[in-house]
Amino acid sequence: MATLVLDNGAYTAKIGYSSDQVSVIPNCQFRSKTSRMKTFTANQLDEIKDPSALFYILPFQKGYLVNWDVQRKVWDHLFGKEMFKVDFAESSIVISEPYFNFTSIQESMNEILFEEYRFQSALRINAGSLSARGYFRSEPYQLCCLLVDSGFSFTHIAPYCRGSRMKDGIRRINVGGKLLTNHLKEIISYRQLHVMDETHVINQVKEDVCFVSQDFYKDMAVAQLKGHDNTVMRDYVLPDFSAIKKGFCKPADQVVLSGKYKTGEQILRLANERFAVPEMLFHPSDIGIQEMGIPEAIVDSVQSLSEDMQPHMYGNIILTGGNVLFPGFRERLEAELRSLVPAHIPVKVTLPNNPITYAWEGGKLLANDPDYEEMVVTRDDYEENGHFVCEEKFDI
Amino acid sequence: MVVEKKNSARVEAGQRRVLDDATRQRRLSRQLEALEKDNFQDDPLSSLPAPGPTARLPAFSETEEPEKKKRKTRGDHFKLRFRKNFTALLEEENLADKPEPNYLSALAPPSSLPPRHFCCVCGFPSNYTCTTCGGRYCCVKCLITHRETRCLKWTL
Repeated sequence: MATLVLDNGAYTAKIGYSSDQVSVIPNCQFRSKTSRMKTFTANQLDEIKDPSALFYILPFQKGYLVNWDVQRKVWDHLFGKEMFKVDFAESSIVISEPYFNFTSIQESMNEILFEEYRFQSALRINAGSLSARGYFRSEPYQLCCLLVDSGFSFTHIAPYCRGSRMKDGIRRINVGGKLLTNHLKEIISYRQLHVMDETHVINQVKEDVCFVSQDFYKDMAVAQLKGHDNTVMRDYVLPDFSAIKKGFCKPADQVVLSGKYKTGEQILRLANERFAVPEMLFHPSDIGIQEMGIPEAIVDSVQSLSEDMQPHMYGNIILTGGNVLFPGFRERLEAELRSLVPAHIPVKVTLPNNPITYAWEGGKLLANDPDYEEMVVTRDDYEENGHFVCEEKFDI
Repeated sequence: MVVEKKNSARVEAGQRRVLDDATRQRRLSRQLEALEKDNFQDDPLSSLPAPGPTARLPAFSETEEPEKKKRKTRGDHFKLRFRKNFTALLEEENLADKPEPNYLSALAPPSSLPPRHFCCVCGFPSNYTCTTCGGRYCCVKCLITHRETRCLKWTL
């Protein structure tokens, strides 16, 4: 029997058979202004020749699955013959869910997996529990770990001890990749060029040029300098989707200080935006979100745990999710934590080399575990006992 | 010859309307809500011209009978049952009565650090507050831009 592992994120689905590799695929549908009648699903994004003013249709709202029509279209595509060719009667699925998922969403999920798709068996689990499993497998001598999962919708701090989740220590910060992209879009539109419709393009800008500052006010001062002293400033060439398919940063030797290029490409000039945007993760209050930043929330979370656990948590911090890929994220977090945590406690922050698919890899390990068969709920079981048996067995 | 001095943008502020705290808070939450939006533009499909007579029209029935027939199909049941937005779901969860930890209690508490201030025009650290709306600015130049574009109105 084949096992499909699906880390069902709000922006990308990480999917693959447990015997195989992972694919990262957009978990949404798109409409483009060039072919308005057509709706593109998941990786059909690649078929859109001109993705300017791309319109997103997302199944998730604030990190929770609400738009089931869209989700089913995406899943139909992923499970269907174009992609994973799932033979539902002979397949098991491991699927991830956010922390504190609503009861009604969990029940809908059971119904769709067992009644609509008719999977042979299923295991629903928090993505963080999969990551923790992966970590304890690679570091068998560690007792605890603290996950920082910074994704599209929000950021979660989740402590785990000997494989079990410390529910009281989970903290959520409502800052994620979507908010960062939208904020960047907003400030660019206000300061230089109207790009409010270009979520797709600006998301690429964010991934290409943003970084986490190690010394915020120093970088601010540098960004304010004129001419070549301003080492933060970059000119970003926007794609026009005919000659330039993908945006890029002008190489340093081609930058014209006046900003007037003879070649006529559209340029965005970015200075403090580059690090002020990811700064929201560390100081949400900068834009008026009255929540702690990641370092403070980690300390708040760890302090809610028993004292003998605390040093183990600070020594095993794992970063997952797309936002941790900003250059300098790990270093900044470690430095800030170092100044917040008592000096005798070692602080170690680890950035895995695949933070986006880290949970999926954990899911793969789980699916190949000898105990896997005992953790799942089979369709027969579900048909006999309904939601109750899922509630009993799954730890959401 | 006396050169007429330009009126100070800061001093004349005394005569301007001042927004109260509740309004400022409302403006802030509207800005934050905008940051949660999936798209700024309208759905390109909705901007298409109305379908001609040949196009398939959505079947809205006026009589009772076909309505009943439609109810029985799985798709319709599906839509009724699974079409709820986030706020409705959150309300339905009734979290106030549920034991902690839950979705609401997991939210990170407010930071104990003092807030930092940035110019709402250029984004650099700012020392001054617009007396009218409470927005921050760093220099007179930015204040003027702010007055023209954002203060008491929201262009963009």
